[in-house]
Amino acid sequence: MVKGHIEMFKKSLLFQMIMVQFTIDKGDFEGFLRKVIEKYDLIGPVEGDKSKLRRKSLFRKIVSPDELFLEKKTYFPVKGYFFDPKETLFEFDGDKIIDPKIELKKKVFFGLRRCDLNGIMHQDMVFLDENEDPFYKARRDASFLIGLHCNEGDDYCFCNSVELKDFFDLMFYDKGKEYAVEVGTKKGEEFIKKFSGVFKKKDKIITEEDRKIRNKKKLDTLDIKDNYDDDSWKKGSDLCVGCGACTLLCPNCHCFTIEDEVNFDLKTGKRVRKPASCQLRHFTRVAGDHVFRNEKLARFKHRIYHQIQYFKDRHEEVFCTGCGRCIEGCPARIDWVKIINEMK
Amino acid sequence: MTTKEEIIKKSPYKPKLVEVIDYHRETNDTFTIKLGWKLKHEPGQFVFCSLPGIGEAPISICSHSDNYVELNIREVGNMTRFLSKIKKGDKLLVRGPYGRAYPMDKFKSHNMIIIGGGSGVAPLKGSVEYISNNRGDFGEVSLFFGFRTPEDVLFRKRLDVWKDEFSMYINFDRVEGKTIYGGKQGFVTERVKEVVGDNKDAIVFICGPPIMIEKVAEILIDKGFDEKQIYISAERLMYCGIGKCGRCMIHGKYTCLDGAVFRYDELKDYKDD
Ligand SMILES: Cc1cc2nc3c(=O)[nH]c(=O)nc-3n(C[C@H](O)[C@H](O)[C@H](O)COP(=O)(O)OP(=O)(O)OC[C@H]3O[C@@H](n4cnc5c(N)ncnc54)[C@H](O)[C@@H]3O)c2cc1C
Ligand code: SF4
Ligand code: SF4
Ligand code: FES
Repeated sequence: MVKGHIEMFKKSLLFQMIMVQFTIDKGDFEGFLRKVIEKYDLIGPVEGDKSKLRRKSLFRKIVSPDELFLEKKTYFPVKGYFFDPKETLFEFDGDKIIDPKIELKKKVFFGLRRCDLNGIMHQDMVFLDENEDPFYKARRDASFLIGLHCNEGDDYCFCNSVELKDFFDLMFYDKGKEYAVEVGTKKGEEFIKKFSGVFKKKDKIITEEDRKIRNKKKLDTLDIKDNYDDDSWKKGSDLCVGCGACTLLCPNCHCFTIEDEVNFDLKTGKRVRKPASCQLRHFTRVAGDHVFRNEKLARFKHRIYHQIQYFKDRHEEVFCTGCGRCIEGCPARIDWVKIINEMK
Repeated sequence: MTTKEEIIKKSPYKPKLVEVIDYHRETNDTFTIKLGWKLKHEPGQFVFCSLPGIGEAPISICSHSDNYVELNIREVGNMTRFLSKIKKGDKLLVRGPYGRAYPMDKFKSHNMIIIGGGSGVAPLKGSVEYISNNRGDFGEVSLFFGFRTPEDVLFRKRLDVWKDEFSMYINFDRVEGKTIYGGKQGFVTERVKEVVGDNKDAIVFICGPPIMIEKVAEILIDKGFDEKQIYISAERLMYCGIGKCGRCMIHGKYTCLDGAVFRYDELKDYKDD
């Protein structure tokens, strides 16, 4: 089924449409965004609130095009828009189960980087498999994904090392005076039609050179099968303070806890799910206080192996998108890419 | 196109109400409930029981019938203690079944060795009932069950039948006073070592505390059993049962989807992960 998902994607319009490309003049770009804002919620990257503590860049609802921060990828991932940090699975009144209502306006995402988009693709593989998650599905159905290709990576990312896939409704390439636009899906094609005034058809404008990303960082190998017992994993786990920032910032990480919240009447309440981090000790704690991955070392390896090996074994895609967020955000400055590169 | 309301209506997280048609106290900390739930299931699968406001717990199905589901539950924490107060006639919220079952079809005409320790006997009871219902499909069947003391014996009514139907070996960690079912003092592992021959075609199911599973598997492999003849059960923290929450993962395998029953060779190197 999951395989089917990949196959379906490979047969998707993207591969037929690759020749049909468009351009949009940078002079028309702002006007285009304003029109988008009129019709939909536009979600895009912003620099973070300078007046508040949270200065790191993130995705947020855009009211005016000049808020957009397009220099580099955001510090925070976009995943919270699809995987709600506190999703109500249902409400209850005694034994009566009540379906939750979720308010959803159609959202257009602009400025998603390839790592963001591949993170969404990976979450699709988890949440939209044969046991479809209705909440994720509803949020994804209401979303339209416009990517922005990076010409250059930052100090932390290494996406060229992890086999990223083309996954987007539309992808923008910055060509100086204009953006070249690639269509990835039927939805993307229809979207372009709605704005036919600003998008001009131009075949094969995106060159092989345009598709390249220059990375400063590199992960030397994706094969760590025989390194599980390597001592050098300790170089990471010894430093880890167990804060969980890495999994929170990762565009892929989706593990969760389900818990019940009861109201004061002790009868009504709701069952919610919240993100959980495999880097925290209680992640594998069962009754009798037994913890399966009790050592930081085991937890650290679990994270890296899930990113590099486990997911690929199951879904034939490398999980890690090479975004480097877990390295940038780690207060202990753990660079697991370096640890792997230095292994024999 | 399906609306989001329709999608959410079919949410896999949503439990449904079934009736408790029987309640039986097994020992001082375990009880068995019988649910009027016509659920198609296979031996080795489990369900989630829900008490709104308290939480959910994955529990193995310990029966095998098209008409009802039995669950044997040990009181170990919040949810299971609350659940113990349920009565015959009450309603209970459940969802399932989940998990990969024992591939029973593959075991046709094989001898079966079923080894359980403590509450690990419960999940095995479903498979023994299956074997009993399809007795002609299997060869010799031996049951090895270990309990702490004679007071801790589960499913006495069943054992009364099985002791005549199969070869049954009972062990107790401690016996003060009279033993029952011919149970010997000593670990079930020792009994397995003593009784089981080099049975090249037998299929073995083991369920119980991890240390017991490991010891028994070692003994059998020493006797010449192949890892592929042995099936074990793994238990991990579970929240979703459908490969989403990530909590039950063992070295890349989801216990809820790929288990909880595993063939020994699939898991042996990563039992502690
Ligand atoms: C596949 C499977 C089959 C099981 N079958 C049975 C059975 O047939 N009979 C039986 O008595 N028990 C069974 N268990 C164990 C049972 O699920 C736990 O004992 C129960 O969840 C404990 O919940 P609690 O609230 O009483 O404990 P607490 O310690 O209060 O639980 C706290 C939280 O941890 C979770 N949790 C704690 N221990 C476990 C555990 N071992 N597995 C999963 N979640 C846990 C609880 O659901 C709860 O969310 C099974 C577990 C699994 C994974
Ligand atoms: S961000 Fe760094 S310190 Fe925090 S849990 Fe992850 S690895 Fe450990
Ligand atoms: S593991 Fe780190 S580098 Fe890889 S996708 Fe997650 S946050 Fe990015
Ligand atoms: S129980 Fe959630 S992934 Fe297995």
